[in-house]
Amino acid sequence: MTCIKQPWRPRALGLAAALTFAATASQAATLQERIALCAGCHGEDGNSKIDKIPSLAGQPAFFVLNSLFLMREGVRKVDAMASFVKDLTDEDLDGLSRHYAALPAKPSGEKIDAALAQKGAAVATQRGCVSCHLPTLAGQEQMPRVARQRIDYLIPTLKSYRDAPRPGADTAMSAAIAGASDADIAALANFAASK
Amino acid sequence: MAFSTYRLALPAAASIAVLIAASTGWAQQPAPPTATPAPPSAVPGQSPPGFSQMDQTKVSASGQDQNLKPHPVPPIATPVDKLPLDKIKLPAGFKAEVWSSGHPGGRTMVMGDKGTMFMGSRIIGRVYAITEKDGKRTPKVLLQGLTQPNGLAFKDGSLYVFAINKVYRYDKIEDNLDNPPQPVELTAAYNLPDTIHHNWKYVAIGPDNKMYVQVGSNCNICEINPGTHGQIRRYNLDGSGMEIVARGIRNTVGFDWHPVTKELWFNDNGRDWAGNAGPEDELNRIPKDQEGGFFGFPYCHAMGIPDPDIKKPNACAGVILPAALLGPHAAGLGLKFYTGTMFPKQYQNVAFIARHGSWNREQKFGYDVAIARTNGAKATIEPFLTGLLDQQKNEFYGRPAYVFQMKDGSLLVSDETNGATYRISYETPPKHASR
Repeated sequence: MTCIKQPWRPRALGLAAALTFAATASQAATLQERIALCAGCHGEDGNSKIDKIPSLAGQPAFFVLNSLFLMREGVRKVDAMASFVKDLTDEDLDGLSRHYAALPAKPSGEKIDAALAQKGAAVATQRGCVSCHLPTLAGQEQMPRVARQRIDYLIPTLKSYRDAPRPGADTAMSAAIAGASDADIAALANFAASK
Repeated sequence: MAFSTYRLALPAAASIAVLIAASTGWAQQPAPPTATPAPPSAVPGQSPPGFSQMDQTKVSASGQDQNLKPHPVPPIATPVDKLPLDKIKLPAGFKAEVWSSGHPGGRTMVMGDKGTMFMGSRIIGRVYAITEKDGKRTPKVLLQGLTQPNGLAFKDGSLYVFAINKVYRYDKIEDNLDNPPQPVELTAAYNLPDTIHHNWKYVAIGPDNKMYVQVGSNCNICEINPGTHGQIRRYNLDGSGMEIVARGIRNTVGFDWHPVTKELWFNDNGRDWAGNAGPEDELNRIPKDQEGGFFGFPYCHAMGIPDPDIKKPNACAGVILPAALLGPHAAGLGLKFYTGTMFPKQYQNVAFIARHGSWNREQKFGYDVAIARTNGAKATIEPFLTGLLDQQKNEFYGRPAYVFQMKDGSLLVSDETNGATYRISYETPPKHASR
């Protein structure tokens, strides 16, 4: 379906470009320097090889921009990310989101349990996951790609959506995962990683 | 203007910088008010026996495009010269102008006694303060880092801020806009449920000086405990003395009191994934003798449609049916009865309703401001502000969220998508059109 045609992108650039005078020394890092920092954990090609660190390759651009924005604003509090996001300019957000959206998502190399993945497909249908994350699980706009995401990232993340309010996310995610068992969550994670 | 006596102690150049900074997140930020997430409960959002928390939505049975999904809110505001002002259509004699801009995600509006406009938001987590100096309005990020602070109220110099399941009161706020004081936290006193879906708040102080608070249903469609979810409650302002005023509501994020009858009228947004045609959203009224009454969720929708997924015999028995329907997936948010003198007499005591616009519908609907003319227990709905939806292209240019009546009788409409408000005013056309 077509939504509003990403009106935020040219505005983000135009506004940021007009405002470079406001940049401080700490905001002066180039986009390439920023990306190199991110690569330390999230992978040179955006595909994470580190336990519990999410892959960013192939994420929808709006999702990356919005997540970085919400972390910068202090709405979504992720301690490990705090020092990396605090000085990001709007231009950085835009550049990083375009960069990761353009990279191909690759399997993480974790062992995928085929039986669990098959069960996960049924759970995903039952819970309507595909209506926001798409049948390919590639995500769209504010909804992340979960296909080929790390299993050891997805499991704790889904549990945290189930168990505690998560600021900054669409609250519909909290309803979608309400009452899921740990076994269902493991199945969903294996299914997503297998896509 | 009510603002003219208020002066912000900033030179003009500085206020421009603040204006720009507010739209980019670079403003000098006050520390967030103890906005730590609630600790995970051992058995989160636990339901009592017999109530499954599981959402019963059956997307594939809806017959709808299964990839429909909520529209994102841009975190960056539209520059003033790109606002869709030229798209807006109004009845003859009315005109729209930009009143404020540069406040991405701004939705709810309340005004302080000294003329500060406070705006709440959802995902962006901010409360804005808009002040006016020399005819120029400047939005400032007053609070940030909150979880969906959509519920705002103002009384006796204090700003009440309702985020998801967090309640704060900022005393003497208008004297301290540059350095907001530590708030008085009222979360424990209000004791709201810890679920988050449909629990961004709408609140308003009633004619009885009580705080009326929405508590949504924590799902699209599921069994809810009517003692916990799907309600409008009222409290003393300090959070004591809770009473349930209405039950069986899916999610109301806009209500107001009829200026004459003093009855509470509220929007209720209908369920998703039961077809493009509805069930239609509701405009409800709480009859004076039926406080605490039941409005049907999850069993009975609109003018008496039993739910397709949660079945119960005699699903609509004992349900207070709506005064009017607001359209399929229209998402009526702000609701205000007009009591000003600027608009023609036929608008007196008419409810203005901002319809945020559909997401769960293939052909988009809403994205406008409608009016409801009430007549006892019933109401009729008519268009008022239109043009932000292009039906042929199936695209929207803005999303009206809330309405606010100014002291001079003009009406403000907030546009969440563009981070702006529009002022709607009326001028009597000359009787003899002489050129």
